[in-house]
Amino acid sequence: MAQFRLQGSKVLAVDLAGDSVKAKNGSMVAYDGEMTFKKRTGGGDGLRGVVTRRLTGEHMAVMEVKGHGTCYFADRAHEVNLVRLTGETLYVEASNLLCTDGALRTGTTFTGLRGSARGNGLFTTTVEGTGQAAVLSEGTAVVLRVTPQMPLQVDPGAYIAHTGDLRQHFQSGVNFRTLIGEGSGEAFQIRFEGEGLVYVQPSERETVGGEV
Amino acid sequence: MAFTVLNSRMVQARVAPGTTLFSQRGAMLAYTGEVRFTPSITGGQGGVRGMIGRRVTGEATPLMTVEGDGTVMFGHGGHHVQVIDLWGETLHVEADRVLAFDGTLRQGTVFLGSQGGVMGVVRGQMTGQGLFTTTLEGNGSAAVLAHGGVIELPVVPGRPVHVDPQAYVAHRGEIRTRLSTALGWRDMVGRGSGEAFQLELSGTGTVYVQASEEKL
Repeated sequence: MAQFRLQGSKVLAVDLAGDSVKAKNGSMVAYDGEMTFKKRTGGGDGLRGVVTRRLTGEHMAVMEVKGHGTCYFADRAHEVNLVRLTGETLYVEASNLLCTDGALRTGTTFTGLRGSARGNGLFTTTVEGTGQAAVLSEGTAVVLRVTPQMPLQVDPGAYIAHTGDLRQHFQSGVNFRTLIGEGSGEAFQIRFEGEGLVYVQPSERETVGGEV
Repeated sequence: MAFTVLNSRMVQARVAPGTTLFSQRGAMLAYTGEVRFTPSITGGQGGVRGMIGRRVTGEATPLMTVEGDGTVMFGHGGHHVQVIDLWGETLHVEADRVLAFDGTLRQGTVFLGSQGGVMGVVRGQMTGQGLFTTTLEGNGSAAVLAHGGVIELPVVPGRPVHVDPQAYVAHRGEIRTRLSTALGWRDMVGRGSGEAFQLELSGTGTVYVQASEEKL
């Protein structure tokens, strides 16, 4: 199985011994040994997956990297977070997914209204199986635990990924003040309930909700 | 040597009487003591020939001479700064990535087109830096700019390192560079993996790679 390790906080090094990983298109910065780079039509699921991704806008430009040696990946100097999956599912925005073990399955899932406030559409990418994945964040991400007693609210622009058995819904604090332009700038949150982990970055991307 | 790392984006240099430092014009952030900054027309060493060489080759980032007695802080554009100490080796780096360097280092310009013929020419086009690169040689330190931090990868005989041309920052040692391509018909029809060209470095030395594919 491919070995993922961090070289500093912004570069992912993957040791390959004839196996393969899927990585964001164009994210290779260096390699030694023998590597081949092949564009993949998307994150799996065959033709149905391709059509889904086209329709949902959650389309990942993915390449398959195969070979012997060490391959280094990085993207726009963003921080890299390693996530080890043992049978569970990781939900992540396609733009934040840097690299996944070749043994992991990727797909697309409906997230409900949440997406529209994030400006990323109504769908998100899922990564499933056993192996490692690397997720990008702007600044060092924190991992927050959600328990049935302790739900979590996250700014849509700061959310990057989650794992576990979580229900999410969108909540809004839009009120009279927001409408007259006196909002606090925190009009929308995603609320997570259940049991799992949520990855949050210390930065807020441009979202439709962020303007309110 | 001359540079002290203050944080990832700032370095401090001690200037003593009788020593000279060169820096990119406008890269001074602060200084203490008596320090003079004068535009360096010849841009380092090499005299008039070096100046003409740089004019012609486009490797002509304006430099200034820093002299006096005090300490100077350098930084540029919030980019990461990497300090590279040289012990008689040669550092190859694009001119616009050079933040500052010791006056003891000899500066020059080399033609890269001669390495690998047509692919050498393509290499210049790919990296967007032209066909020439700046060399710094001797004993001393250089401070080099990069977007998002730098990793150092050793290059040893029989184990070449391939680098994305956009992520390449600099290299030192006895290294040959060559542009290798994996260009197939898929790239022509816009279905490529985005990794069509790589810079292949072979020999003995170190290559510096930034964690980003953005140019400065």
